[in-house]
Amino acid sequence: MITARDAGLVGCRRCARAWPAETPVCPTCGSALQSRDMGAMQRVWAWWVAGVMCFFPANLYPMLETRTLFVSQSDTIVGGAIELMHHGAYGIALVIFVASIVIPLGKFIAIAYLALRVRGDKPPAGHGAHKLYHLVEYIGRWSMIDVFVVAILASLVHLGSVASVQPGPASLAFALSVIFTMLSAQSFDSRLIWDRTDVQKGQAA
Amino acid sequence: MTQTPPNVRVEPARRSLWERASVVWLVPLMALLIALGVAWQTWSDRGPLITITFDEAQGVHARETELRYRDVTVGVVEDVGFSSDLQSVAVDIRLNKDIAPFVDDDAAFWVVSPQVTAQGVSGLDTVLSGVFIEGVWDRVPEGLIPAHRGLTDPPLLRPGQQGRVLTLRSLPGASLTEGTPVLYKGIAVGRVGKTELAPGETAAQSQIVIFSPYDQQLTTATRFWDTSGFSFSIGAGGVELDFSSIASLIAGGVAFETLASGGVPVRDNALFDVFGSESLARESLFSDNSRPGVNLTVIFEDNVSGLSIGSPVELGGVQIGEVISVSGILDPLRFRDQRVRLMVNIEIRPGQLGMGDLSASTDVMDFLDARVAEGLRARLATTSILTGGLKIELVTTDESDSALLDFSGDPFPILPSTDSDIADAAATAQGVLNRVNNLPVEELLQSAIRFLDGAAALTNDPELTAVPGEVRALLGDVRGVVGSEAVQALPAQLSALMLELQGATTDLRAVAADLQAAQAVDRLLAAVDATSAAATAVTDSVTGVPELIASLNTVAQSAADLPLTALVDQATSVVSAADGLLRAPGTQALPDQLGAALQDLQGVLADLRGVTTDLNDTQAVERLLAAVDAASVAATAVTDSVTGVPELIASLNGVAQSAADLPLTALVEQATGVVDAAEQLLRNSGTQELPGQLASALDEVRQVLADLRAGGTVDSLNATLGSARDAAAAIETAAQSLPDISARLNRVLSQATETLEGFEAGSELNRSARGALSEIERAARAVESLAKALERRPNSIILGR
Repeated sequence: MITARDAGLVGCRRCARAWPAETPVCPTCGSALQSRDMGAMQRVWAWWVAGVMCFFPANLYPMLETRTLFVSQSDTIVGGAIELMHHGAYGIALVIFVASIVIPLGKFIAIAYLALRVRGDKPPAGHGAHKLYHLVEYIGRWSMIDVFVVAILASLVHLGSVASVQPGPASLAFALSVIFTMLSAQSFDSRLIWDRTDVQKGQAA
Repeated sequence: MTQTPPNVRVEPARRSLWERASVVWLVPLMALLIALGVAWQTWSDRGPLITITFDEAQGVHARETELRYRDVTVGVVEDVGFSSDLQSVAVDIRLNKDIAPFVDDDAAFWVVSPQVTAQGVSGLDTVLSGVFIEGVWDRVPEGLIPAHRGLTDPPLLRPGQQGRVLTLRSLPGASLTEGTPVLYKGIAVGRVGKTELAPGETAAQSQIVIFSPYDQQLTTATRFWDTSGFSFSIGAGGVELDFSSIASLIAGGVAFETLASGGVPVRDNALFDVFGSESLARESLFSDNSRPGVNLTVIFEDNVSGLSIGSPVELGGVQIGEVISVSGILDPLRFRDQRVRLMVNIEIRPGQLGMGDLSASTDVMDFLDARVAEGLRARLATTSILTGGLKIELVTTDESDSALLDFSGDPFPILPSTDSDIADAAATAQGVLNRVNNLPVEELLQSAIRFLDGAAALTNDPELTAVPGEVRALLGDVRGVVGSEAVQALPAQLSALMLELQGATTDLRAVAADLQAAQAVDRLLAAVDATSAAATAVTDSVTGVPELIASLNTVAQSAADLPLTALVDQATSVVSAADGLLRAPGTQALPDQLGAALQDLQGVLADLRGVTTDLNDTQAVERLLAAVDAASVAATAVTDSVTGVPELIASLNGVAQSAADLPLTALVEQATGVVDAAEQLLRNSGTQELPGQLASALDEVRQVLADLRAGGTVDSLNATLGSARDAAAAIETAAQSLPDISARLNRVLSQATETLEGFEAGSELNRSARGALSEIERAARAVESLAKALERRPNSIILGR
């Protein structure tokens, strides 16, 4: 396998056309051509840090504030999942737990792993790294399911003083966390994975 | 081989860290800043933590249970734990920062939980929301005190509430129930707090609160009583069921009332008693039985029955205590004999001695000690003669054995006693009956019988029986004397006497009638008529002969020369003389002589009559009339001479001449003379003497009247008076014709005026005639005024005024 860089070419990331290496701007679509984005890793880490920072309040603050006639209840994500589990709704508790805790955490770990792997001297996972990257990018949008549920509930359950549901401060933090994670994943220049592979190959050769 | 460029090692220019830094780093940086900011703010806003220890913390949960002040959340429980010795529950509460300085020493905390009592449901909101901790504190920030002791119950008087906290002690028959209302005139004005057993006493006591403004009603004269339950009584007034409120019926309650004015306001935590009923409370106001009294022992030498527990102890008639025990005492050592004496323990209540609530028992002892030194002793006295009950009286005696309170007495100090004052009612009654029994009733009855016998004998005596008959005979004699003819004739004699008097009066009336018949007035009228005719004739003669002014002037001249004025003056003087006559002392004296209106009247009547008769006798009127007639004839002659011969001016001239020559002056002088003579007549002594003679005559009449009066009857006298009244009426009638005279005179004068007006105005004759006529008019007016005066006051003739 040969990379475009190895071939003296540079591929446009927008229209996917390959141009000679020194071509500054893609004649087809007009976007800037860059063989490797050297600042990408900084952005990845920056978004990643922001995402992680938002993840803490997202789990510490209540996600949902439910007020019925006399009782006002506010639940965090984990607390809600545990409560659902206490009520016997294991399935829903599992869905919430996976969608809100496992997946975001997995994304953080995956991105961090990829970023470290690209930079470090350890041998890459090769094709597996690419698959991991695509998985992270694909699954990222589904993490918003929590926020989606909260938004629907808050707009549906609005019975004045009898019962009302309002999003807690965690919902905003959670949404930000998901957005930052997605941006982090997008900022990742997946071509760097190849470079490491090359280095590995070269060293092997 | 493909031509490939040499594998150039691409080494990017080493850029500075700042240049290589991505803008994206700003995002986590900002997130970090925000997080730090939020964290700092949260930390800085966090209030202090206080720890409240409760005996129990039922329903208190960490991070859920709130601390409320005035129902506003000011803190949240952070932790619920135990004190180190597990004695109590320690509740950590995170306070709001701004409220913290107020939570100082006076802060109080308690757990509010739902309560359902007879008074109602409280803390209902805690049923759903869970309990909360309520805290109260005042409004003065004095710095945070971090550790507090929680209350089991809400405080009675919360900070900020106005009211007064009192301590109530239940007396037997009264009950105190926690949480029950305190009623004042049926209004719940406070409540009873926690009830507990009073320390060292057998009564329950509790704190109560009475809220403002009702605490103003509290004085030392305030009494509390138990209103719980109901009272049911059947008496003469019917069946009575009484309870104050449903709540107090179920759970009880305490009512109070300030029963008398003059109490002093109470302090906080003042102690009051709760009485079993309102009536007991009211009674207590006047007899404070609630306080322990002072106990004394009295030993009496006499051992008499009648004293019992509860018998009164009196000082100066006022009950100041009662007997609490009666027993005998045998103390050979002290009394040196084997007699059993009466030992009485008494209780004296300081309140009824008027020593106030605060006086200690030692004060009472000191008081009694001093009084005993002055001679105060106890003695037995009779309460009631009928029942024979006894009481103990404290009296001041003259004994100076210098006894003192014997404080060595056991168990109580011994009050010295003195001789008893026991009235043995039975003995007294028996003595009375004995006296009655010893009365000599038998002898008394014997004497009475003897006396009655004597009386009967006296009554039956024949002489005494004859007395009524003699009395009757005596009365018959008296009746005979009364019925004798001499006595019977007395009224007839009196009647005759009166008839005589009546005849005399009739004579008087006849005199008055004579006066009326004199017709003097009529003659005067005739004369005046003649004058009038003459004036008419003159009028006729002068009309149509104005040219004879000259001769008539002459006539007028002579007429003007006539001394008519003098005539009138003389007539006036005649009247004056008559008036003077009437005013003469003799006349004036008449009323005095007569002494009564009757005499005066008769005197004047007689006087008038005499005058009239005199006038008639002297014919002065006739002469005057004749003179007037002559004037009238002359006037008629003039009339004759002038009527019908207007053409004979010359003759008329002559007539006028002769008229001028007429001796009018002489006529007038003659008339004057007549008048003078009349005046003379009036002035002569004979006339003057008339009143005197009349007076003497009247004296005689008076004598007659006096005689009549002496033996007369009233009827005759009345008749006499009636006659006199008739005489007065006759005089009045005579006087009434005087206006006619004046009217006629008026007419004459009018005609004369007409006559004179016929003359040329301004002529001397006219003036003279007018002057003469004016004089006549004045004279007529004088007569008229006289007449009017007489008319107005007819008695002026009589009275001379």
